[in-house]
Amino acid sequence: MSYAYLFKYIIIGDTGVGKSCLLLQFTDKRFQPVHDLTIGVEFGARMITIDGKQIKLQIWDTAGQEAFRSITRSYYRGAAGALLVYDITRRETFSHLTTWLEDARQHSNSNMVIMLIGNKSDLESRREVKKEEGEAFAREHGLVFMETSAKTAANVEEAFINTAKEIYEKIQEGVFDINNEANGIKIGPQHSPTNPSLPGAGGKDGSQGGGCC
Amino acid sequence: MEDNCEGCMELFSQDGVLLKQAHSYYIQYFNESGTLYITEYANTKDRFIEWKPNSVTVHSDSHDSEWSFVNAIYRGEQMSPQPPDSKPKYIKLDMNQVRSFKVSKKNDTMTFFDGKGEILCHFFFQHGNCFSLFAALKGLLKTTVSKRDKNIHIIVDETLQLNKSFATLDLFQDSQSASIVWGFVRSFQEKPVETAFGAFAKIGNTIGNNFMPSSSPQPIEEEVITNDVKEYERGVESSDGASPKDYEIIHSSPELPSRLQYPRGNPLSYDQWTALQDSEGRIEDVEYTKLHIFRGGIAPSLRKVVWKYMLDFYPWNSSNADRKTILGKKEQDYYDMKLQWKTLKPWQLQNFVQLRDRLSLVEKDVTRTDRTLPFYAGDNNKNLQAMSDILMTYVMHNFDLGYVQGMSDLLSPILYLLQNEVDAFWCFAGFMERVCTNFDADQAGMKTQLSNLYILLKFSNPTLASYLDNQESGNMFFCFRWLLVLFKREFELHDVFRLWEVVWTNHPCNNFHLLISIAILEKQQSEFIGEEMGFNEILKHVNDLSGKLDVNDILDNAEGLYYQIRESSQLTNEVRQILGLPLIAESSPKDDSTDSIENELMANVDKAYENGLHTSYF
Ligand SMILES: Nc1nc2c(ncn2[C@@H]2O[C@H](COP(=O)(O)OP(=O)(O)OP(=O)(O)O)[C@@H](O)[C@H]2O)c(=O)[nH]1
Ligand SMILES: [Mg+2]
Repeated sequence: MSYAYLFKYIIIGDTGVGKSCLLLQFTDKRFQPVHDLTIGVEFGARMITIDGKQIKLQIWDTAGQEAFRSITRSYYRGAAGALLVYDITRRETFSHLTTWLEDARQHSNSNMVIMLIGNKSDLESRREVKKEEGEAFAREHGLVFMETSAKTAANVEEAFINTAKEIYEKIQEGVFDINNEANGIKIGPQHSPTNPSLPGAGGKDGSQGGGCC
Repeated sequence: MEDNCEGCMELFSQDGVLLKQAHSYYIQYFNESGTLYITEYANTKDRFIEWKPNSVTVHSDSHDSEWSFVNAIYRGEQMSPQPPDSKPKYIKLDMNQVRSFKVSKKNDTMTFFDGKGEILCHFFFQHGNCFSLFAALKGLLKTTVSKRDKNIHIIVDETLQLNKSFATLDLFQDSQSASIVWGFVRSFQEKPVETAFGAFAKIGNTIGNNFMPSSSPQPIEEEVITNDVKEYERGVESSDGASPKDYEIIHSSPELPSRLQYPRGNPLSYDQWTALQDSEGRIEDVEYTKLHIFRGGIAPSLRKVVWKYMLDFYPWNSSNADRKTILGKKEQDYYDMKLQWKTLKPWQLQNFVQLRDRLSLVEKDVTRTDRTLPFYAGDNNKNLQAMSDILMTYVMHNFDLGYVQGMSDLLSPILYLLQNEVDAFWCFAGFMERVCTNFDADQAGMKTQLSNLYILLKFSNPTLASYLDNQESGNMFFCFRWLLVLFKREFELHDVFRLWEVVWTNHPCNNFHLLISIAILEKQQSEFIGEEMGFNEILKHVNDLSGKLDVNDILDNAEGLYYQIRESSQLTNEVRQILGLPLIAESSPKDDSTDSIENELMANVDKAYENGLHTSYF
């Protein structure tokens, strides 16, 4: 299938916060509570439409386990978007956000759009982190924020799509250098470099990634 | 080479000779009685040690020309691919390949070594002793007695006219010998017996043979480069536009002998297992048993029993009575340890954060391990409870290691198979003994494995290695999951059983799983290069191989690869070390370069780990 752009995403955050469940809900529209824990990295992909344009999201779901951090970090570089996830029913996953954020900022490009996600919003009775706290953290660090539930699918689409919209806007504003694939954006194979809405979209032939995902 | 028996002269023969050990290809004849010959071919003057099992009718002086013969070992140009279905009929060992031999104290066994640390053949003389064979060998060969073990006889190459005896040679003055001794001392601590044999044989090699593999003259290089380019071009045939110049061509790449097929054998059956035990239930020949398992695995119904030996639950030499005692003790120990954490008071846990964190991680992960298997499916599943109890008890058993993700993946198949909490715990603990460095807090064990994998790949397939390097994948991170949980996620459960039991035999070397990795990777080479895959695509492609791999084919190729690498004329010490072969002195210029490559590589992996920095593009 042809696409105008391909965006690379990463999903990061403590183990067990629901990263893999969020991905599965987004790509397959189902909740699999017994999903295997992640070792290394897993992949998902889905096509979305923004502003009438087909955009392919290539999503890397990383392992949250502390011990694997040195490996998973190597996947950050070259991502256009990141979902930083915590679990609203476990305060420690919220406390670790600063470390995750530092790590992500240090090992990825500076324009990466980061969406903060408080997951498991369906478990209201076990909530340990108030929504306002999430909002405040996001404001303080310049992130977009949303509470989601991979179980009920609440806000899952929005989380992924809003991130893509933000990236798309940054492209329109010329903030992202889309000729540099290290920014996690690739122009689709069918798109002519003369498209006026794509600043400086010439040069690079995007055909090589077409088969991926 | 053909088995032409015209002009073949029998110099010696003796019957009642049991084959105890040889290349695992001959496993079907192990412990069989047969006749041993020394033969000489008139035209070439080549001499052979031959052994034929009694189960095949033998006419001692006329070699049946219908018999397909197989060289006892495969090396260099002598490699003759074996048709996959034809079983070797007898052993034929070129005397030129023998570097030393050892006579046992009782004079009832004789062992032939290749000088590379490997046993070529090991014979037991049922009727009396090996004196007559010994005398025959002494008559044909110039030998010298090893300085350290009077039972080892080193063959002196007459072409060199070395008249000094081994004992009077001042061996350790030059750097070559010093390095042999160094290698010897290093590996002696781990494998005293094998090392001693290998190293002495090697010393024989240095004296007796000037044509050291790695000191071969340089001109080979040119040929190798051309070859490399050819190989590269073959690899990218399907893609257009890529020029070989885009990629670095490795200069001193070694040429491997061609790959032989090693089709898997039959699994160890119940009857065979019973026959392997003495009247009190002791396994008599452990190496043979392991070799059998290496070649064919274990019959599914027997796994439950044999895994306990492979995972050090029971010692191989334990009798039926011993095992009763051991089982009682293990049960007791397990329940004691389990009680330790079960009886912690809430305030104790409250003030013991390391333990609390581990227990809660275990709880979270047990519900996310193989839940699609009916055995672990559903809520309130008692097998989940057992898995959780085992992992928590393991935290008490080895607190330094504790629990790290990946361990539940290693436990799951064991518990599934054994269906017993105590058995599964101890077998899991035995498994962890082998792979615990995978779970080092600083990931040092994984770093070493990934860099060893790269070193082996660079040696066996420099084209693929340099392609991966150019795609910023030289750190081999994309193989992380394979190595961390020993391919558990890549195969269907019964294939995991097979692969694990084969790896647990430690045949043909301790790092066989790295050769398995290469066997898988080399099959992807044409796609990697042909589709010009980059960092992202390679990682994704490798991830997606899960469930698509053929375990037998991979084991077959991994074994073939082992012998290819081992028999390569340019084997380096860093590769020898990874494969557990004794080190030998190498010519200095090469030595330096490989060393620096290794250092550079380790530094790179280290750096990558430290920063987690890796440029990655689509
Ligand atoms: N109630 C509820 N449970 C969820 C939700 N999302 C995930 N879970 C549960 O949380 C557990 C962990 O989810 P995963 O998606 O495996 O967590 P992860 O972040 O991928 O963890 P790692 O792979 O270890 O890094 C699962 O067992 C799910 O059942 C949610 O939105 N609501
Ligand atoms: Mg996950």
